[in-house]
Amino acid sequence: MQGVKPMTEEFAEYRRDESRTCGAADTISFPVSEHELRAQIGWLADHAPSASITVQGARTGLAAGAVPCGGHVFNLSRMNAYLGLRRDRDGGYHLRVQPGVVLSELRRHLRSRSIPAVNWDPASRAALDALYAGCEQFFPTDPTETSACLGGMAACNASGARSYRYGPMRPHVSALRVVLATGEALSLRRGACRANGGRLVLVTEQGRSIPLELPAIPSPSCKNAAGYAIADDMDAVDLFIGSDGTLGIITELELELREAPQAVWGACCFFASEESALDFVIAARPALKRALAFEYIDGEALDVLRGVRTEGGSFSSLPNAPRAARACVYVELAGAAAGEVLEELKLLSELLRAAGARGEDAWVARTDVDRERLRLFRHAVPECVNTLIDRRRRDMPSIAKLGSDMAVPSECLRDVMKLYRDGIGKAGLQSAVWGHIGDNHLHVNILPRDEREYARGKELFAHWAHAVSAMGGSVSAEHGVGKIKRDYLLAMYGGERVRAMARLKARLDPMCRLGRGNLFDEALLDEVAAEMQGGERP
Amino acid sequence: MNIIVCVKAVPGSTEVKMDPATNTIVRDGGASVINPFDAAALEVALRLKDDAVRQGLPCRVAVLSMGIPTTAELLRDCIARGADDALLLSDRDFAGADTLATTYALACGVRRLGGADLVLCGKLAVDGDTAQIGPELAGALDAPCIAGVTEVLEVASGRVCARREVDGGAAVAEAPLPAVLTVSKDAAQLRMASIAGVMAAEGARIEVLSARQAGADPARIGRAGSPTQVVRSFVPKADASGIPIEGSVDEQADAVAALLKEMGI
Amino acid sequence: MSGLMVDADRCIGCGRCVKACGSGGIVVEGPRGARRAHATESCIACAACVDACPVGALAFERPSAADSAGCADARDYWVFVQIDEHGSPLGVSLELMGRARSLADVRGCRVVALLPEGLAGDRGVSARLIAAGADEVVRCRDERFSACDAAVHAEWVCELARRRKPEAILYGATVFGRELAPGVAVRLQTGLTADCTSLDIDRKTGLLLQTRPAFGGNLMATIACPSYRPQMATVRPGIFPMPRYDEARAGEVVDVRLDAAVRPRVVLRGVERTREADALVDAEVLVVAGRGIGSKKNLALAGELARALGGKLGGTRPLVEAGWLEPWQQVGQTGVAVAPRVLLSLGVSGAIQHVSGISAAQSIIAVNDDARAPIFDVARYRVVADCVAFASELLERLDSQRGDRG
Repeated sequence: MQGVKPMTEEFAEYRRDESRTCGAADTISFPVSEHELRAQIGWLADHAPSASITVQGARTGLAAGAVPCGGHVFNLSRMNAYLGLRRDRDGGYHLRVQPGVVLSELRRHLRSRSIPAVNWDPASRAALDALYAGCEQFFPTDPTETSACLGGMAACNASGARSYRYGPMRPHVSALRVVLATGEALSLRRGACRANGGRLVLVTEQGRSIPLELPAIPSPSCKNAAGYAIADDMDAVDLFIGSDGTLGIITELELELREAPQAVWGACCFFASEESALDFVIAARPALKRALAFEYIDGEALDVLRGVRTEGGSFSSLPNAPRAARACVYVELAGAAAGEVLEELKLLSELLRAAGARGEDAWVARTDVDRERLRLFRHAVPECVNTLIDRRRRDMPSIAKLGSDMAVPSECLRDVMKLYRDGIGKAGLQSAVWGHIGDNHLHVNILPRDEREYARGKELFAHWAHAVSAMGGSVSAEHGVGKIKRDYLLAMYGGERVRAMARLKARLDPMCRLGRGNLFDEALLDEVAAEMQGGERP
Repeated sequence: MNIIVCVKAVPGSTEVKMDPATNTIVRDGGASVINPFDAAALEVALRLKDDAVRQGLPCRVAVLSMGIPTTAELLRDCIARGADDALLLSDRDFAGADTLATTYALACGVRRLGGADLVLCGKLAVDGDTAQIGPELAGALDAPCIAGVTEVLEVASGRVCARREVDGGAAVAEAPLPAVLTVSKDAAQLRMASIAGVMAAEGARIEVLSARQAGADPARIGRAGSPTQVVRSFVPKADASGIPIEGSVDEQADAVAALLKEMGI
Repeated sequence: MSGLMVDADRCIGCGRCVKACGSGGIVVEGPRGARRAHATESCIACAACVDACPVGALAFERPSAADSAGCADARDYWVFVQIDEHGSPLGVSLELMGRARSLADVRGCRVVALLPEGLAGDRGVSARLIAAGADEVVRCRDERFSACDAAVHAEWVCELARRRKPEAILYGATVFGRELAPGVAVRLQTGLTADCTSLDIDRKTGLLLQTRPAFGGNLMATIACPSYRPQMATVRPGIFPMPRYDEARAGEVVDVRLDAAVRPRVVLRGVERTREADALVDAEVLVVAGRGIGSKKNLALAGELARALGGKLGGTRPLVEAGWLEPWQQVGQTGVAVAPRVLLSLGVSGAIQHVSGISAAQSIIAVNDDARAPIFDVARYRVVADCVAFASELLERLDSQRGDRG
């Protein structure tokens, strides 16, 4: 088959992703169109009918969702064309792209008004002219890793700092094309196909009707990227977003664009204690109506930054956090004009005072240069912690960084923080905590100094997964479950509900070949696949 | 101690693209920013002020600029970062000034601000690249000049001591106050504005003076006061006379290796 | 206003000026049939439109000749000679001597070398300056020059200039020259053009035409100083070739005194020399890396290549700003102008500011994966290739060649 290549050493990098875990596969292909992809699925059906299929984008995921589990790999990075633009009745723009389009490229093209529009139809071109003539538009989902691709972001329902304001990726996707494991295609437009009373009927372009009985699985009332997002009256589009590549292969997405705010200011606020930072966040969330993001950096993480600053090198240009600061909250404010944001900043200043912090100690970034410095400051935290762990791993290859991705409902913020602090304290572990505190979604990182600490950290995480689930939270708020966090999914939903999700998968992918190992362990998949076979052949 | 920092608004992006169809420049507008060298000079001044305050000594930092009215907002940003006063010289008659006319206007501004113990300028402006304003201003104020300062070591007993660039190296230079220093970009990184600073700057008065209000002689400012004139400007012509070295990278490397050997290298 | 004048009788409203303007400094407005160009407040007086106008309707208002009366009696081209710590003139001073000679020949005037000396003494410098083209060397030996306060030198030059009224003074754009020349300009209240890349005489007016990158370094501007004297310019080392010495040339040496009232105020202590900077200027072979090199790791490859070629490594401004290279390694308008025999340019796009600093190189071999990169316009050899792949291939060949020999 043209395009399907044996997985030789040349393709070694495609066995891995950012999770730093490694898998194996027999073949790989890099289709450039849905047509080619479907032809390759057809070929696989003839030549390797039971081979598992792993879909890859930019391989920036942290949960090993793109790490192959034998069989074939579809790498969609070359499906990176911009297909068209539509303007809806309210004047909003919807940009149709292939899944391999990279976020940073999309942003650059939107900002510089240079979207590659070759071969676009006249309607799309007219919409593009209107877009260029109007205010700058942007796509709001902002994961830290901007080299992620849009297909991968949809597959794990990505989010980022600004998800506090804009929510995760899901609501910003207005249409999808999906190719099923059977080779059939679905064209789904938001609003056109909804579930009714827990029953959702999908109709493929080939004319087959697939009725789905949706299991009753309540979604947590917080940021969540774990498991299928199921609701009684759900939209079919939402089923595929966040499905970790287990239901179908996304071959086209329509992205809903928004008008970019004219003034965006960042404020880095410092606190003498975590408690006062929490007081501030809890008071500020309802008060600051123009906040796009609330991000947190704890005292230990600040200490890591202070350490690398003195080592020289590229980090020495980072701004220096006040010496007494034991916590930092970064707030991003946006408005149509600077005056609006200034009013909000005044309010923020009062909130700071109420939380016992000083306006003199808070940095404000209003220029590109300053915004970039604050971005570097925040992004230096995970980078420095990774470096620290990499150094330790040189002597002790068996340890690794443990990073959590759990979120809880807003009313549990103090509780979950206490849970983390008690656990870390009792276990006597070194840690650094940062993340999306606006969404009650903190990345707790354990920095083990030896194997025993590593083991203790893992135990702690398992314990937290149960406790967070009990609070009504999510065990994987943004990274997806992939292969690494399957156990947490069990902790969150329980065996029966996970099995119900697996059965739903098997309705669309009867042999359970797609995204094998993601969400469900293989034994479970074999069981539900066998049920399917049995069910269909009485 | 009184310090005056001269700042210039420069285009945020100096990246200019050529439109190959019309062979003209396409300037990517972008907001104006403080010339990065001047930003470093401001930070040097603010650190001197921090030192003075720590010792309980009075110190004020004023920012001075000649520019269009919107430059006032950049000066306000300087106040948000810790400057105490701001003076903007803005008048259509200042337009078209070369370095000599600019120097004269700035010298008028320095006098309006009541003079200073130290006048700091960026070593050069990224849009003009002349590096002339500082030394010319020193001459106009009849003050000693230390150019290309990378670090101010000490200001005490009426003298300033600084590390500076010299031909082929660096040196420590010392001069009596009042003095003019031009500051290299890597001397310091301008601090972030604080929330308190931004609030205070909102209410701050940015003094804006016309040429007449600044007491400037109309014959010495703007185009009228500029000895130099641009006669023409042009995009250098493309030259296609170079010899292409083609083939695969292997073949290209072979060809260049042979070429270098031929040249005796 | 910038002083752009539109001759409404000539203007045909074609709009070529609007296209040529990069600053929105000119618009074409008016009813159909009567559309005319108008300067706006955004005009930066770059004169790009003047050249673009097909009917000669645009011009800059020139100051009246009234105050240029004093220009008529100005004569002679002067070169300020900078001396290094061993008492030898810098290369750039000699290069300028050569250029001043040819300019003065066009003007039919003399070349005067200004030679301030500390206590080091002449050591044959005057004779060398005469051989290089000077008709007169004005020499001043004074301890006060040793302090390296540019203001002392400025006072000396000004006192001479007021008395003798030179037509032009040229300075090397060294750190010292860039401080001295503005000091002279402000004291004499005259114009100064920094970092010129060419100097010519306007045959019609006899004015010194000073060309330099301007307006962000993306445009070349030719600048004149019509009504003030002296006309003054600084020039980077390496822009002009070394002069041919004519030992038979005759010239006079005049010793003058520095005014007793002049006192150095700036004192220089403890000069720490970085030798490498000089080496870049003098290097026979240079490898220059640009943004296309991609990473600090790849830059090490360029360094090895430089070593293998027995040359030095330099780079463009972005690399220096990224901290990958030292400031002294910056090649270009704001760094060092270089004049090597061979310059291997790796992944450099070729902005005017950079190109103006390498124009004196004898052979430029440019490697860039973008065939349209402007660097190819100045290159003798154009290699369209990935510069990193090319560099490692070339290094391999050089290493094996050396292996063959040794």
